[in-house]
Order: sequence, then C-alpha cells, then structure tokens
Amino acid sequence: MKSKKIIALALACTLSVGAFAGCAKKKSESISDWTMIAFMAGKELNEGNEIQEELAKKTGVRLKESWNTSQDVASAVGTMIASNDLPDLIDGGNGSKMLAEAGMLVAWDDYLAKDEYKNLKEMFSDKQWELFRQADGHIYWANVFGKTYGEPKSRGHNDEAFWVQVRVLEWAGYPIIETLDEYFDLLDSYAKANPVNADGVEVIPYTALCEGWRYFCVENAPEFLDGYPNDGSVIVNLDDPDNPKIEDYNVTPTAKMYFKKLNEVYNAGIMDPEFATMDYDTYIAKLASGAVLGMCDQNWDFAQINNTFIDKGYKELGYNYVPLGLVAEKGQTKNQWHAYADVPNVSSGIAVTTKCNDADKAFKFLNQMLDQEIHDLRFWGVKDVDYLVDENGLYYRTEEMRANWQNDAFRAKHVCNYSYLPQWGGTHRDGKNAMKPEDQESEFFATLSEPLKKAFDAYGYTSYGDFLRSEHITQLGFWYPMYSHSNDMDSTTDYGAAWLKMGDCKHEWLPVVITSKDFESDWAAYQAAYAECKPELFLAEMQKELDRRAALGK
Amino acid sequence: MSTIEKDAPALKSKLNKAEVKRQRVLLIVAGLYVVYGIIFYYLPLFGWIMAFQNYKLKDGIFGSQFVGFKWFKFLFDDKTFLRDLRNTLGMGVINLVATTVTAIGFAILLSEVRNVMGKKIVQTISYLPHFLSWIVVTSIVRDAFATKGMINELLQGLHIIKEPISYFMHTKYFWPIVAISNVWKETGWNAIIYLATITSIDPSLYEAAAMDGAGRWQKIKHITLPGIRSTIIILLIMNIGNVLNAGFEVQYLLGLGVLKPVSETIDIYVLNYGMANFSLGTAAGIFKTFIAMILIFLFNFIAKRAGEERLF
Repeated sequence: MKSKKIIALALACTLSVGAFAGCAKKKSESISDWTMIAFMAGKELNEGNEIQEELAKKTGVRLKESWNTSQDVASAVGTMIASNDLPDLIDGGNGSKMLAEAGMLVAWDDYLAKDEYKNLKEMFSDKQWELFRQADGHIYWANVFGKTYGEPKSRGHNDEAFWVQVRVLEWAGYPIIETLDEYFDLLDSYAKANPVNADGVEVIPYTALCEGWRYFCVENAPEFLDGYPNDGSVIVNLDDPDNPKIEDYNVTPTAKMYFKKLNEVYNAGIMDPEFATMDYDTYIAKLASGAVLGMCDQNWDFAQINNTFIDKGYKELGYNYVPLGLVAEKGQTKNQWHAYADVPNVSSGIAVTTKCNDADKAFKFLNQMLDQEIHDLRFWGVKDVDYLVDENGLYYRTEEMRANWQNDAFRAKHVCNYSYLPQWGGTHRDGKNAMKPEDQESEFFATLSEPLKKAFDAYGYTSYGDFLRSEHITQLGFWYPMYSHSNDMDSTTDYGAAWLKMGDCKHEWLPVVITSKDFESDWAAYQAAYAECKPELFLAEMQKELDRRAALGK
Repeated sequence: MSTIEKDAPALKSKLNKAEVKRQRVLLIVAGLYVVYGIIFYYLPLFGWIMAFQNYKLKDGIFGSQFVGFKWFKFLFDDKTFLRDLRNTLGMGVINLVATTVTAIGFAILLSEVRNVMGKKIVQTISYLPHFLSWIVVTSIVRDAFATKGMINELLQGLHIIKEPISYFMHTKYFWPIVAISNVWKETGWNAIIYLATITSIDPSLYEAAAMDGAGRWQKIKHITLPGIRSTIIILLIMNIGNVLNAGFEVQYLLGLGVLKPVSETIDIYVLNYGMANFSLGTAAGIFKTFIAMILIFLFNFIAKRAGEERLF
C-alpha cells in the first residue's frame, strides 16, 4: 500500500513538473515559427542556427526557408494554389501575379501608409511603388534586390555577361576582349594549348544552358551585344528619346550574327556538344568541375559554384570567372551589360500570404529586417565574433573569419542572411561602411584569390563591373525593366499566348540553328517558324505597356 | 470465359428481401464504392464548367464569365496542340505494343524455365525497376544514351558506328528511347499477370499435347497463347484507355529543346499553357477523356465483333 502511494506521489510530481515545464516553454514560444519559399537555389540552415536564433529573439520570428528549384515556377505556384498549401512568406517569382490573383497574398498598402513600417516604405520612391501596383489597385510584394542605400559601393556584377575563367586571361597576357570573334578565338587557343586540367578533367571551351526558363543563357545575348540594357524580352530603342520604341532582338542582324558565330564554333568543336541536352544540374556540375572556360550566364545563376572552387582549391588555379562585356562591333561604345542604376524588378518579390496567421507581425518582421542592427547581424554577423571594428569605425574581418564565412558547414550552423528578405546594398547608415561585406573595399580585395587579384591589378580595375566596360548610366528609363511585364503573361490573352509560343519556338529552334550543317537555310526556317507565333501581338502589347510606364514616369 | 457465362443466369435470381438480407455485407461494401466513385469521379466533373468559362481563381466557378467553346477552338487552331496530340497517340501506341509484346514474351520464356530457384530470382530482379521513379530512370537513360555513355561505347566497341551519336539531339531517336525506357521499367511487372494466367492453365492439356508428340514451341503456340488470349484482350482494352496517358515524366524530363516537336505530350501542353489558364487546361482534359472513351468503345466493339472477351 505504502509503496503504491509513493509511486503515485512520484507520478504526480513528474506530471506537475511536466506541466510547469510546459508553461515555461509556452512563455518563450511567443516566437513564431514561420516558413518561406523562394524559387531559387539556396542552402538550408541547420536547426538552431546561431544568428537565426539571435534574430528570432530580436524579432519574435524564426523563419524556415525552403528553396524550390523547379524549372517551371508558374506551375509549381499553380500547384501550391490548387492545394492551398502555402508558406507564410513567399517569393513567388514568375508565379507572383497568379498568387495575387488567387487572393493568396496580403496587400501592403495599409502598412506602407503607417510610420511603424517606414523601413519598408523607404525601399522605393512613391513612383516606383506605383509600378508594383497590380490591376486590382493593391501592392502585394516588394523586390528586395538591386537597391542602393546612399553612395553605391557595389563591386560585384550579379547579372549577365560572357564569363571567362581568369586563368585564360592570364595565359593570354590580359588582353581586352571586345567581340565574339576575339572571345571564341581566346577560348579556342587556350583550350588547344591546355586541353586538360591539372586533375585530368578535359576542358570544355564554351557551353550554353538551354533548359527551361534558364535558356536566357543562349537566347538573349543579342540584346546586350547591341548595347541595350537587360529589358529581358525586348529592346527599347531610344533613338527618339521622347518616343521610346519596342524592338524584337530575335530578328536583328546581330541575332543572326551571334547564332551564326555559335554555329561556327559548334561545328569547329569549340562548343560543348551536349549543350542542348543538359539540364541545369549537369550544367552546374560541369562548371563546378572547372572544365568550362567560358559561358554566357547571369552571375546569380551559377554563383553557387564558388564554394566548390574554394573547397577544391580551384580558386588558386584561376578557375574563377570574370565577366566580359562583349559588343557586336569592335569599337562600339554602346554597352550596358553592367547596370550602374538600381533596377527594381517589379514582377516579383517578397510577399506575405494569407496563410500567415499574423500579418501585422509579418510586416513588422520584414520592416525590422532593414533596421541597421538586424541588417548588420544578417550580413556582417556578430560583432567581435564575425567582424571587428577598427579605430576609424570601419568593419573588417580576420583571415579566419573570412574563411569561416566562405565555409558551407560553418554558414549552415552560424550564418543567417535571409537572403530573399528586404535588404540594402550601398552604404551603411553610419556613412562609412558598406551594407554588405562583399562591397567593403578591404573585404572585397582580401577575399579575392591570387589569380583574380593579379587580373584586377593588370587591368587596373577595382570592381567586377569595370570588366564589362559599360557606359556609366545611372538613370535608366522609368519603364525599365520591361521583362517585368512579359514575365506576367499567360495564355489567357492572345499576346500572352504569342509570347509562350515564341518561347517554345526558340527553345526548339535555337539548338537546331546552332548545330546546323546548313546555317542559312535553317536560320530562314527558324525565322519563318518564329513569325508564325505572331510576335507582333506580343510586341504591340509591350509597346502599350512601355507607353503606360513612360507616362507614369513623367 | 465460359465459366462466367454459365454462372450468369444464377445472378439474375429474384431480388427479394431475403436475398438482400443475405447479401447485406456485400451490398454495404459495394455501396461504399459507389459513394466513393460518386464523390471522387463524378462530382469533380462539375469542374468541367471551367472549360467553357474565362475561369479566374478569384471569381470562382460561379463568378467567372462564360465564353462557350472559345478554348476548344483555341486548341484546334493551335498547331502545337495538334502536334502534341499526335505525339501522345504515337508514343502511347508504341509503348502499349512494346510493353505488351515484351511482357507476354517474357512471361512465356519465364514459365518455360524449369529451375524454380532461377525463375524466382529472375522474376524478382526483373520487376524491381517498376518501383524506381521516373526521375531515377531518366537519369539512368540519360547517362546510358549520352555521347560518352554505355550505348555509344558498346556500339563503337562492336564497330557498328564510328562516331558517337548524340541521341538526344535528333528527333528520330526519341520515341524509341521512350519505348525502351518503358520496356526496361515495366516488362517484369507486366509479366506477373500473364505468368499468373499461364500457371492457371490446366497442366493436363500440356500432358495430353506431349502424348500427341507436341514439342515446346507447339505447346506454346497451341496451349499457352490461346490460354492467355482473353487476359491479353482484357488488358489491352483497359490499357487502350490509357494510351493518351502516354506519359508525362519521361517526356518532360528527357525532352529538352530540340526534342520538343516529338516529346511534348498533351499533359506537358496542359502544364505549359494551362497552368495560369485553368480553362484551357480543363478543355484539353475534357478532350483527352473524350478521345480515350472513343478508343475504348472502338476496341471493345472490335473485340466483340471478333468474338473475343470484352469489357462490356
């Protein structure tokens, strides 16, 4: 009997302790565990990531980021809508408009009007915010990239270019490469002299990804070669500055010249024979192996290989890429590969979904992300642990800290950028430092590998942007970029259907003309097939949108 | 089979209270399936209305504007859709024929193996690929058919070709590759049902044939094949309805760029053009169902005329 009582007492104690523990836990659980999805490649953080926990303490939100690399964003978003299975926050990419139309996003308007959320409001000018407004009169998202606070400090080139491994330039004595002919000659002669890498991998002088939406790698170079900025789907001709005109870069003489050149190098064996059939993963694997000497791509599309280069020591071998701003004709000064102006892509951005149970808190959280203290924590890390401050108030890192921040394992357990949440480039609010370490002069040069440093010195460049030799245009047309309109199109409209058809046609024909044995006739057949897609419907709609935006900007 | 026909009159016994009571468990179970069918197969058909609307997620089925046959017209004016219809039918038929023939052949070969152990091992190994997902199978196929892949090396080693062929750059290889992938993946699995039927053939038939001096080949021809004929027909009829489901994953994963003209199926079309445009997707779906029904009725009719076993 007695023993039973004791057991009962013990049990009761355990239970009540459990209950108290439960209470205690509940108290600290004012931290909301939310989820977020972005349609980009990314690294998932470890459970209990140190800076993430710190941010959770400060903001009351712990955000679990997932990365969806599906090649067709609109269909992935469509599936999410159909199954009503949404995260709390989302960067819907091309599917953003679908989400808004389905009524799945929370409108920003009320929040932007309130002083509490002034960090968010500060991201764009009133006019720019207008561009984010959807047909139903609301703003549902804000693009977080390409925004400069104060003085520009950016040293990177996050966008498109013809890239070349820096060892190739070193081998050739750091020449200035201006045209496609020079570029392919350089790649070819290097590959002939050095057919095999140090670890026995055969070099691939040039490759081009053709898969899914990433086929811009092969498709849109003519626009840049002619010296236009990345309007994406069209060229905006400014010959008459008061009457900007839409033009189609798929049918220009430069387009023909470019594809003819690719055809020539393909038949000469300079171009990767598998270029047309590889998927994105294969492409990245090829780049990460150090085999590919050159390609045309957006930096963000392949930047993930940098860590592999560090791990494998390829960095010291000069496998890192530098961008080249090629132009259609030698001596052409029209060149806008590198954008010196901020370019909000209004077609997508960070959004709060209706699934989120506390929208006020979500916007407060987004707003807090731009507080200087939080911003520092996200990008610089913890003071005295991840960076030090010198007597002039300038942030810097030691070799060890730098190595840590480049190490995937360390990043997973310690670093938390929340890279798809609102953020700034440019100058720190203290007026001295850069918002992000990669833009800090001392850090930028300290993290460059030896071969890269040599190239920067040889050319006398101080940023990746310099390599592109672009015009210093700091103010782009208010309509820019036009792709934010075409990204939203679908088959419900005749121009949208034409746009999809044009894409299909190019997916199908570009590899054919590049691999053709009879370029002229295949090119003519391609142009005929292209004309059948009725591009004029699409171009007329783009002109309409251009006029609308131009009027808005006045 | 004849046994069913003999039993048929018995089923028509009077439906009285006692009979209902006697079969109540069966009726309840059957009733559940009817309810299931109504909920999951018939109620969703209501959504077909979307095909005749400019369906907008926000407005819903009741608020969207009706546009009649606009989307059907769109489909039939669209060369891409007609091309994809051709691809779907083409690959569907090739896959059906290839997988059926190989499965029957494989089942017969396997049933002729006398070593029980060996038979079991071969059977188990051969149906394992069925459980692999297409994403895995397509990577294997991609590697095997790569320029420096297994197939090219083999053919070069045998001096059948001089230069490696890039199979995924030429449209003419695509349908065979899809058929081969299907055969590789499904033969073992599909053979199971034929094997089971072969096992159920009365052994005395074989003994009698052996007495009459029939060899192996003759036994296969005159006993095994006729013995599984009705199974073959039934399975064919059932699979005919699936011809338009010729595939999505394998074509989607293997059919990049150049191959689009031969690789795109209706399902992929729906994905590309119908994802933000639900009306168009629904219209394409209705059309697909319509074709599938025609095919089933047609084949059933042919089977009936030929005096064969049939579905209904």
